[in-house]
Amino acid sequence: MTMEHPLTGQRPSRDRDVHGGLAVVAGDSIVADRAAPWPRRRPSEGAPHPRRTRPGAAAPTGFVPLAVLAVAFLALPLMALVVRAPWRHLPAELTAPGVLTALRLSLVCSLGAVAVSVLLGVPLAWLLARVRFRGRNLVRALVMLPMVLPPVVGGVALLLAFGRNGLAGQWLDRAFGVSLPFTTAGAVVAEAFVAMPFLVITVEAGLRAMDRRYEDAAATLGAGRWTTFRRVTLPLIAPALGAGGALCWARALGEFGATITFAGNLPGSTQTMPLAVYLALQNNTDAAITLSLVMLAISLTVLVLLRDRWFPAR
Amino acid sequence: MSLEARVALQKGLLDLDAQLTVRGSEVVVLLGPNAAGKTTLLRALAGLIPLSSGRVLLDGTVLEDAAAGVRVSTERRPIGVVFQDYLLFPHLTVLDNVAFGLRARGAGRRAAREFAGQWLEGMGLSAHAAEKPRALSGGQAQRVALARALATDPRLLLLDEPLAAMDAGARADLRRELNRHLGEFDGTCLLVTHDPIEAMTLADQLVVLEEGRVVQAGTPEDVSSQPRSRYVADLVGLNLFRGRGHCNVIELPSGERIVAADPVAADSEVFVVIPPRAVSLHRANPEGSPRNVWPGTAGSLDIAGERIRVHMTGSMPLISEVTPAAVAALRLGDGGPVWASVKAVEIVVYPA
Repeated sequence: MTMEHPLTGQRPSRDRDVHGGLAVVAGDSIVADRAAPWPRRRPSEGAPHPRRTRPGAAAPTGFVPLAVLAVAFLALPLMALVVRAPWRHLPAELTAPGVLTALRLSLVCSLGAVAVSVLLGVPLAWLLARVRFRGRNLVRALVMLPMVLPPVVGGVALLLAFGRNGLAGQWLDRAFGVSLPFTTAGAVVAEAFVAMPFLVITVEAGLRAMDRRYEDAAATLGAGRWTTFRRVTLPLIAPALGAGGALCWARALGEFGATITFAGNLPGSTQTMPLAVYLALQNNTDAAITLSLVMLAISLTVLVLLRDRWFPAR
Repeated sequence: MSLEARVALQKGLLDLDAQLTVRGSEVVVLLGPNAAGKTTLLRALAGLIPLSSGRVLLDGTVLEDAAAGVRVSTERRPIGVVFQDYLLFPHLTVLDNVAFGLRARGAGRRAAREFAGQWLEGMGLSAHAAEKPRALSGGQAQRVALARALATDPRLLLLDEPLAAMDAGARADLRRELNRHLGEFDGTCLLVTHDPIEAMTLADQLVVLEEGRVVQAGTPEDVSSQPRSRYVADLVGLNLFRGRGHCNVIELPSGERIVAADPVAADSEVFVVIPPRAVSLHRANPEGSPRNVWPGTAGSLDIAGERIRVHMTGSMPLISEVTPAAVAALRLGDGGPVWASVKAVEIVVYPA
């Protein structure tokens, strides 16, 4: 029900805003998003974006200085990193034995975590997206929990589960002689624990957005479920899998809290780059800055690679 | 070659319960308005939606029997489907799209590609084998979709609105081409459309589906000359009424009476068709031979070829087809009261 305007006594019609007696119709046309069946638009040419920014819009008083402050607050530390970097002996710093070891270990652990996440996370995402089962929302909430959980808590929880006396760790130790804490495998486990949710939710969203009729078409051509998944579903969600994998990898690479709690800080086996940075900061600032620069470069690369996906030009 | 199916299922607001029998290598066209359940019926036959009751028999083999709990999965049914917007796999080349079904059914990569290549050649598409589907025109995509479906040698081919995505200009050519390809296919073919021209030109048999029920089935000639629903009558441009006959008078639910030339079986439900060309319009109450005269109001006009169709509103809504000269002479464009008259001999009556 429309109500009378408290000031003007006018009843606004459904698609107009009444501003001081002047009817303003929004300038942006509403785009009917029923895609023309053929020819198909390429995804990159997608339906025109409703413009959300317009030149010369008047901001509420105080917004501009506050926004400038926010940008400065976010950018200044990164600039400091670049300014204070020991550019002259950067090559030497980069090739110092400790740095290289940490870098190599970080790559091994983070890629291992991505592999574990893909292996376990893709089937989970598929089930969450495609199968209606009891407790699906509960499962989804559990999966997302590590994203908001303080990583240190994750590390403690991992110790209680997979530690030598942990719920599953006890059994792992007895049955297979496997002990995860304070090993490289343990670092992989810690990183996968915090990073996998990013992969799961991204892939799930990709599966939901996909046109499932392609799977129907594959079935009518005689493809069983596994063939359909491998030859149709997986290629169609490849962009989502790529984005989820990159996000998962970036998170694993920067993981600190869970790793140091569960896997410790042993150079060469569990001391990944973030731990090395923290340690180096105590006695060798240049090494810390160098390692930080490397990680900043990696983060920037991920951001640039994913920019089309997350920040389409507006 | 035969398909015998009774498909019953509920999906949202749709309550589908349709019986289909097809013998020989005919092209059966399923015609109906939007949301009649045509696509759902097709998907049920392909095994993409389970039946709540009924069964599907193809060449004597049970594909699905709800009562017996038998259900052959989609990938094991010898059924090819051409989907509405073709659904060519965007990440595969044209050749690999056509080879997909053969690969899925166990053929080796090389053998499948070779065979697919032959299909593309038959469709005149060899030049596009290495392209991705998005590079194809609508007509080419349709042929690739047809080749992909036929390459697996199905016994039943289902086509969902195969021409709906085409612009009007290209449709006639594509329809002829589709007709040729369907003629070469020796299995049973079921095609869904809401376009009456497509239906009339492609069908050996026509099945009209409305609100999930088959309202009429037969050859296109039968269906168009004796429509059994308002939808079909509108499609073929006839005035259709349903009423009860007494002697040669048919009484309509509205209370109006239609007088036919021939006697009708007493107290029976009948359909009455009045061709628009048989309806004459007058500005004054006509006198003389016609026994059917109804007053009304001249409504909208539209052009049909060299004639003009006048929609008369009132207790006896009728469409009349008159010459432009008559429209001018009677000033029908101004609306206002008119009388419609129809000779009894022009009226066609058949049992409901």
